[in-house]
Amino acid sequence: MFFTRFEFNPARRGAKHLLASPHRLHAAVLAAFPGEHSPVTKDGGRVLWRLDHPAHRALLYIVSPAQPDLTHLVEEAGWPTTHTWDTRDYTPLLGRLAATDTYAFRLTANPTFSRAQPEGRGKRLGHVTVNQQLGWFLARTERHGFTIPPVAADGEKEPDATILSRTVHKFTRHGRTVTLATATYGGTLEVTDPDALCAALTRGIGPAKGYGCGLLTLAPAT
Amino acid sequence: MSVLLLRLAAPLQSWGTSSRFTRRTTDRAPSKSGIIGLLAAAAGRRRTDSIEDLATLRFGVRLDQPGHVERDFHTARPIDGSAPLPLSYRFYLADAVFLAVVEGEEQFLTTLHEALRRPVFPLYLGRRSCPPSGPLTLGVRNQTLEDALAGTPWQASPRIQQKHRAATVTLDTAVDAPLGEQAQDVSYLVQDEPVTFAPEHRQHAWRTVIAGQVTLPNPDYMPTSAVGDHDPMALFGAS
Repeated sequence: MFFTRFEFNPARRGAKHLLASPHRLHAAVLAAFPGEHSPVTKDGGRVLWRLDHPAHRALLYIVSPAQPDLTHLVEEAGWPTTHTWDTRDYTPLLGRLAATDTYAFRLTANPTFSRAQPEGRGKRLGHVTVNQQLGWFLARTERHGFTIPPVAADGEKEPDATILSRTVHKFTRHGRTVTLATATYGGTLEVTDPDALCAALTRGIGPAKGYGCGLLTLAPAT
Repeated sequence: MSVLLLRLAAPLQSWGTSSRFTRRTTDRAPSKSGIIGLLAAAAGRRRTDSIEDLATLRFGVRLDQPGHVERDFHTARPIDGSAPLPLSYRFYLADAVFLAVVEGEEQFLTTLHEALRRPVFPLYLGRRSCPPSGPLTLGVRNQTLEDALAGTPWQASPRIQQKHRAATVTLDTAVDAPLGEQAQDVSYLVQDEPVTFAPEHRQHAWRTVIAGQVTLPNPDYMPTSAVGDHDPMALFGAS
């Protein structure tokens, strides 16, 4: 597995075009892998990506089974001569994960629930309130191999996870409007099951993985 | 010295101190004449009654939630439409919350507190069309004006407090200069010290106000490691 970071030059027209639509950005990310028709490989790894906006920058993170070539993105929407992209081998890091390790994490996800329909299968709807979205995330930590350790706030212990931003994305795909309610989570996690966490890191969490949701990233705990 | 604490919150407030003719402006903070008038109305005093005892109270205000200025283009006219009134601009502070403090004798402040709970005349925040939302008075405390401004919890609405991500909040204050103290470089003059509210010869004297700031804890602050910068590349070490 490979972990890649690419920075957009937000002043360029190509960047504006890509950043405006997760549909176009998804196509641009998959174009980094030659001959890759299905984003899911045999061992279950797949291409995941996420867009972060720290302090007016636009950072694209990609986790992928194969090494990406982002030349087209750099030429269209980056800094071609000074600042290209940074790809690292993710496998050693995934192998180092051990129970009781703590990391800072960040995740942009599409929290959803199903409402039963009179016929056929249920209709998938997005969670939109902070409480629903945080509850959706906290209900999934166990199966993905980690827990959120509590932190004391005013004497009460609360999980050290918070919603950093919430957005409802609307964009056009094949002439129809796609609506996605996304939430960005951040905080501290403690590893309980390294294998399950590896699976979550490489296969993603929740729906809408093609549209920049589901990629969990770790950073040193502060 | 004791203080009487007032929480001034309303959809609209308007505190003019220099309005003339058809442009009825508002200040960014409540005026002393507005608060003295509010207390006088609660106590049931008429406009011609003496307000000397009220005017001796020392006054200070804290801008807990600054709100924003709204302009109203006012085209009111008599119901028969005969004599058109002059068109006027009226300015309001929307969605603002203030902590107003008056300092004086405990006995006097207690009667004013009771009067605010059972007002004789209707109470409003600067203009008759701006009724307060929620209880006005927070009670009488045994402390000085400065301690009250620095020690009373943040009064902003819950939504504003939740949106404020930092552990502390810094609020502007405007306080009467203590008697006999020389003017400081942070002070300014406002003509809102009421002498009389009598309609035939309403009078306001000049008042020296000291601008300051207080820093309070944010009750909705939740410590979390998530807000800082997130750098996944840091785990990979040097390239």
